[in-house]
Amino acid sequence: MALLLDFFTTAALLFIVSSGLMMIYGVMKIVNFAHGAIISVGGYAAFMVARLGIPGWYGWALAFAVGFAIGALVERLIVLPLYNRPLDAILATWGLGIVLIQIITMIFGRSTQLVESPMDGTFAIFGTAYSSYRLIMIPVALVLCAAVIGLLNGTRFGIKTKAVIMNEALAESIGINASRIRFIAFSLGAGLGTLAGYLITPLSSVDPYMGVAWLINAFMLVMVAGSSFVGLFVTCLVFGTLQVLVSIYVNPVIGGMAIAVLAAITLRIRPQGFSHV
Amino acid sequence: MKLTSLALAAGIAALSASTVFAEDTIKIGVPVGLSGANSVVAPSVVQSSELAVDEINAAGGILGKKVELVVADDGSGAVGAQKAFDSLIFDKGVNVLISMETSAARNAALPIVTRGKVPYIYTSFYEGHSCNKWMYVNAWVPEQLSSALVDYLAQEKQAKTFFLIGSDYAFGRGVLDYTKKYIEKTGGKVVGEEYLPMDGSDWTAIISALRSANPDALISCTAGGAPNVSLGKQLKSAGVNIPYGNMAVDEGTAKDMGSAAAGMYVSGSYMTSIDNPENKKFLADMKAKFGDELKTPNDLSVPQYDGIYAYKAAVEKAGSTDPKAVIKALGEISVTGPRGTIKMDPVSRHAPLTMYLAQVQDDGSLKVLKTFENVSEGKQCSFK
Amino acid sequence: MYNRTLKKALPIPALICLALIVLGPYVCSMYLVNLLIKAFFFTVAAIAVDILWGYTGYLTFGQSAFFGIGAYCAGLVFTHLGFTDGNIALALALALVLPAALSFFVGWLSFYRGASEFFPCVISLVVPIVVMQLVLSGGEFTGSSSGLTGFDTFEFDMDGWFWLSGGFMLAVAMAAHFFLQSDGGKVLVAIRDNEQRCAYLGLNPERIKILLMTVLGAVTGLAGFGYASFSGVVAPELTGFQFGTELIMWVALSGRATLWGPVLGTLLINVATGYLSSSIPFVWQLILGLSFILVIILLPKGLIPLIFRQLGKASPMAPELQAAQISAPYSGAHALDMQKVAKSYGSLSVLSDITLTGDQGELIGIIGPNGAGKTTLMRCMSDGTARTSGLVSLCGHDIGKAAPQKCVGFGLGRKFQNANIFQTLTVAQCLRMARFIVEKPSFLQESSVLKLPQYVLDVLKVTGLDGKLSAVASDLSHGEQQALELTMVLALEPKVVLLDEPTAGLTLPERRGIGKIFSDLAHKYSLCCLLVEHDLDFVKEVATRIVVLHHGTIVMQGTPEEVVNSELVQTIYAGARQE
Repeated sequence: MALLLDFFTTAALLFIVSSGLMMIYGVMKIVNFAHGAIISVGGYAAFMVARLGIPGWYGWALAFAVGFAIGALVERLIVLPLYNRPLDAILATWGLGIVLIQIITMIFGRSTQLVESPMDGTFAIFGTAYSSYRLIMIPVALVLCAAVIGLLNGTRFGIKTKAVIMNEALAESIGINASRIRFIAFSLGAGLGTLAGYLITPLSSVDPYMGVAWLINAFMLVMVAGSSFVGLFVTCLVFGTLQVLVSIYVNPVIGGMAIAVLAAITLRIRPQGFSHV
Repeated sequence: MKLTSLALAAGIAALSASTVFAEDTIKIGVPVGLSGANSVVAPSVVQSSELAVDEINAAGGILGKKVELVVADDGSGAVGAQKAFDSLIFDKGVNVLISMETSAARNAALPIVTRGKVPYIYTSFYEGHSCNKWMYVNAWVPEQLSSALVDYLAQEKQAKTFFLIGSDYAFGRGVLDYTKKYIEKTGGKVVGEEYLPMDGSDWTAIISALRSANPDALISCTAGGAPNVSLGKQLKSAGVNIPYGNMAVDEGTAKDMGSAAAGMYVSGSYMTSIDNPENKKFLADMKAKFGDELKTPNDLSVPQYDGIYAYKAAVEKAGSTDPKAVIKALGEISVTGPRGTIKMDPVSRHAPLTMYLAQVQDDGSLKVLKTFENVSEGKQCSFK
Repeated sequence: MYNRTLKKALPIPALICLALIVLGPYVCSMYLVNLLIKAFFFTVAAIAVDILWGYTGYLTFGQSAFFGIGAYCAGLVFTHLGFTDGNIALALALALVLPAALSFFVGWLSFYRGASEFFPCVISLVVPIVVMQLVLSGGEFTGSSSGLTGFDTFEFDMDGWFWLSGGFMLAVAMAAHFFLQSDGGKVLVAIRDNEQRCAYLGLNPERIKILLMTVLGAVTGLAGFGYASFSGVVAPELTGFQFGTELIMWVALSGRATLWGPVLGTLLINVATGYLSSSIPFVWQLILGLSFILVIILLPKGLIPLIFRQLGKASPMAPELQAAQISAPYSGAHALDMQKVAKSYGSLSVLSDITLTGDQGELIGIIGPNGAGKTTLMRCMSDGTARTSGLVSLCGHDIGKAAPQKCVGFGLGRKFQNANIFQTLTVAQCLRMARFIVEKPSFLQESSVLKLPQYVLDVLKVTGLDGKLSAVASDLSHGEQQALELTMVLALEPKVVLLDEPTAGLTLPERRGIGKIFSDLAHKYSLCCLLVEHDLDFVKEVATRIVVLHHGTIVMQGTPEEVVNSELVQTIYAGARQE
C-alpha cells in the first residue's frame, strides 16, 4: 500500500514540477532552461509568504503571480527575439537561470532557508500511515491537471492556443494573435513553475539551487510527453513508478538517473514519445 | 565587448606584473567556497578569520609584522580550488594557507601546496586519512565523531540496530563506513545503509526502506545544508520518531531547520553553548564585531579561528615564517581557544579533541548532554 | 610577405597563439603560465564544441563527459596500476578509445532518421549526468566526490608543460583550421544548413555526425588526459554537465563557427576568471550570465569576430570551372519503374495504384491540380520509407526502404519545389558538395578547380551563376537560388531527375534557356527527367510525354498534344479553378 502511495505521490510531484515547462514547450516548442531557477523563485516566494505571515491561500496566488510577472518580462525581453532560433532560446534561458539564481543569492544569501510545513505528520489511509503533505499532492496534481486541460480545451484562449500549436501561420491568417498567445503561455508556464516551487518547499529546503535538481527530470518528462497534458500525466505516472521501483529494488543513486536514462531510451525507440496516448 | 576588453586588460596586467613579496606583512591565504556547495558556511569562516586577524594585529601582529588576510573563492570544487590555490600561492605569495574545503577541493589543492612549499592548516572535519608533508588538520575525523554519537545512542537510548543514511560522496560514505565498523565492533547491528546523490531531495524510497527495516536508531551523514533540511522534513512528515543522530548538521542549519531538527542528536568539537571563558569571550567579540551580520559560529569557523592562532604560535616558536621551521613548530605548540586547548600531533598530523554530544531543542538551540574528553584521532598519518 | 595565401593558411589569431606559446614562459608570471596550461587543455574541448555546435549545428552539453573520461583514464590507471611506461601507453590508449567509443554510442543514440531537432541535445544533457553519477558512486575506485589525487605523473617542469599543452592545442586548432577550410570540411556546415539537402546529395548526415563525434570524442579525451596528467588531480566535476555548459558559454561568447574565436576567447575567459572570480565570485557569475544572454540575443556571432572581422566569413575564392567527364548513361530497362505504389495516412489515401515507368531519354511532364499528389509522388520515388505499398526501382535497383541518400546512390536526383540549398555556403561550395559522391573533395585544402558536367556548366551560364561562384547562397535572388539547386541536382550526374517546378521564379529568357537544357538532358545526355509543372505551356513545349495526376491516381498519360487537348484535362483544370 505504501508503495502504491509512493508511486502516486512521486508522479504527482513530477507532474506539478513539469507542468510549467510543458505549457511553454507544448505551445512554443521552446525549452525553458530557466525553469529550475523559476522553481527556486517559487520556493523563495513561499519563504517570504511564511515570513510575512500571509495565510496559505493567498500564498499560492502570490507565488503564481510572481512567476507570471517574471515570465511576462522574460518573454518580451529574451524569448521574443529568439522564436526562430529555438536552440539559442535554450541557451538564453539557461543564461537567465544563472542570472536568476545569482540574484536570489545576492538578496537572500546562499544558505538554506526553512519554511514550516502547513501540515505535519501522517494520515492513515487504508491502514497505512503516510505523510499527509505528500498525500495532498495527489489531489493538487489532479486539480492542476484538470485546470490546465480545462483551460486548453474549454476556453477561447485554449482553442486559440491549440490553433497556434497546430499551424501558426494558419492561425495568424484567421486573426489569432499568435504572439499574444505565446506571451500568455510563457507567462502561465513561469507562473506554474513558481507555483510548483511553492508547493514543494514543505518537502524540501529553500535554497537558490533547489529547482535545478528537478530540471533535468522535468525536461525529460516533457520531451517524452510531446505536447499534450494528458500525455504528461501518463508519462509522470509511468516514470514516477519506475523511479520509485528502481530506487527501492536497485538503489536510490541509480533511481535518481532512472527517469533521464529511461526517457532517453524511450525517445530513441519511439521518437513520438507518449504524445499520442 | 566589455567582457573581452576586461579580460584583455587582465591578461596584459598579468603579463607585466611579477609577483612581489611584501617583507613587512604576513599573508594568510584563505581559500573557501564562497560560491558552490560550501557557500552556506564560508561566510562564517571568513568572519572568524577576520576576527582572529584583527585581534592579532591589535596585539602587535606576529613577530612584529602585520597580518593580512587574503580570501579566495574555490567554487567548492576541485577545478576552482586549483585556481584559488595557484592564485594564492603563486600570484599573491601567501605565507600560509588556513581553510576549510571540500575533500575534492583539498585533494586537488594538495599537489599545488607541495609544489609551492607552503604550510597548510586544514580546518574542516572530513573523512580522515589525508596526509601531506605540508599539512596539519585541527578538526575532527570519523574516529572522533562516531564513537561519541554511537556510544550515546547505544548506552543512553539502548539502540541495538541502526539505519544509516548518507549523501553519495566521499565524506558521507567515508564517515558512515567508519560508523558502521564502529557499530559492529561495539556489538550493534546495521540493518540498512542507503545513499542519495548529493543534489537529491526526494528521500521517499529511502524512508520506505527505513520503515520496513524498523531500526532502533537512525544516523545520517548528508551533504550540509539542503539535503539535511529535506531529509529532516520528510522524516518528520513521514512520522519517523526513532532517535536520530545527525553527523553533518552545523549549528546554524539546525537553528534554521526549526521543528524539523528538534530532538535530533548531534555531535561535534564545537557548540556555541560550550561553557568556558575563551568561548564566551569569542562569542562576545564576534557579536561586537559583526552585530546583525553575524553568522552563527560553528564547527568549521571555530577551528579556522584556532588555526590562525596555531600559525601565530608556530611562527613565534620558529622565529620566522620559514615553511619548514613552521611545519616543525606546528607539531610542538598548543593553543587554547573556544574549543579548549588543542595540540596537533606531529606524527598523526591531526589533533585529539574534546567532543560534545548535544540535542537540538525546540527553539533550535543545542543542549550539551555529554562531554567526551580528549577523544583520540586514531591512526591518521605517520610522519617522523 | 604576409600575403593572402599565407594569411589564409596562418591567420592572425593563429600567429597570436604561436607567439604566446613560444614566448609565454619568458614573459608570463608563474601563475599565468599555470592558468594558461589548463586553459590550453580546455581550449581543445572548446574547439570540439565549436566544431560540433558552431559548424555542424549539434548543440551538445556533453563534451565534458569525454574530457572527464580521458582525465579519469589517467587518474585511474596511474592510481591503481602505477606510473610505468607500459601503463602510460595503456592510459593513453584508454583515454583515446573510451571517449571515442562512448561518443560513437552517444552519436548512434542521437542521430537517426526522423529524430526531433531537440533529441540529440537532450541526450547530450543526459550523458554527463550519468557519467558523473557513475564516478560519484564508484567509491574508492574512482574516489567518489573527492576525485583522485596524489598519483605519480610526468615530471616536466612548468615551461615544458606550457610548450607541450600549447603545442597540442595549436596542433588541434591548426588541424581543425585546415579541415574546416577544405572543400570536404564544408560538409559540416552543409549539414548544419540543410540536412535534407545533404541526404538528397547522396550524403549520410547521420553517419558523418557520428564519425565526427567519435573523432572529437577521442581528441577531447586526449585533452582530458593531458589536464589530469598536468594537474595531478581528477574530480567528478570534470565530467559534469556544469562544465559542459561552460564550454558552450565560452564558445558562444567568443564566436561560434569561427574556430579562432573560441580559441582566443577560451584562453581570455579562463585567464580573466583566474584573476577575477576568486575575489568577486557572485558578481563574476552574474556578469558571465548576463553577457551570455546579451550575446545570444544581440550578437549571435560572438565577440571575437568584432575584432577579427575576417573570422567565420565565407571564402571569397572563385574556382576555375572545368568540364568533367560524364559517366556512361544507364543502359538497362526502365530507369524508373513504379508498380502499384500507394500512400495513405491512416484511412486517408493520398496516392493509389500508381504504375509508371520512365526511360532514359524521356522527359515526362507530370501535371495535375493542387493536392493531386504530385509532390507525394516525387517523395515516393526518392525515399524508400515514404510509400505505404508497391514497388519502386531506380536503374534496376529495388529501393525497398532505402533512405534518400541510398536512392541518390542508385542514380536519382531531386529538385524540390522551394529552393533547397545551403544558405551559408557559396555557390561554388554548394556545387562542390553536390559533387561529393562523384568526386571526393580534399579534406585538407580548398581546390582552385571545380569540375562539373557540361550540362551543369550550361545551366550556370544561362542563369548567370557562373559569374557569382563566390557569392553566398543566401544573398542570391529567389530565381538564382532555384537555379543553384537545379545545378546542384544535375551536378550529381543523376540518371533519373525529379524536377519540382524548376522554373518557378525565373525570367522568361531564363526559362527558355532552361527548357533547351532540359531537352538536351533527355535527348543528348539520355537522362530520364520527370518534371512537375504548373505552366502547361512550358511542359507542352519540352515534354515527350505527359502524365496527369488527379485525386492521387494517374488519370491519363500520352503525348503532349493528346493530353493538352483532351477534354479530361480541360475539365480537371477548369474544375480545379472553380473549387
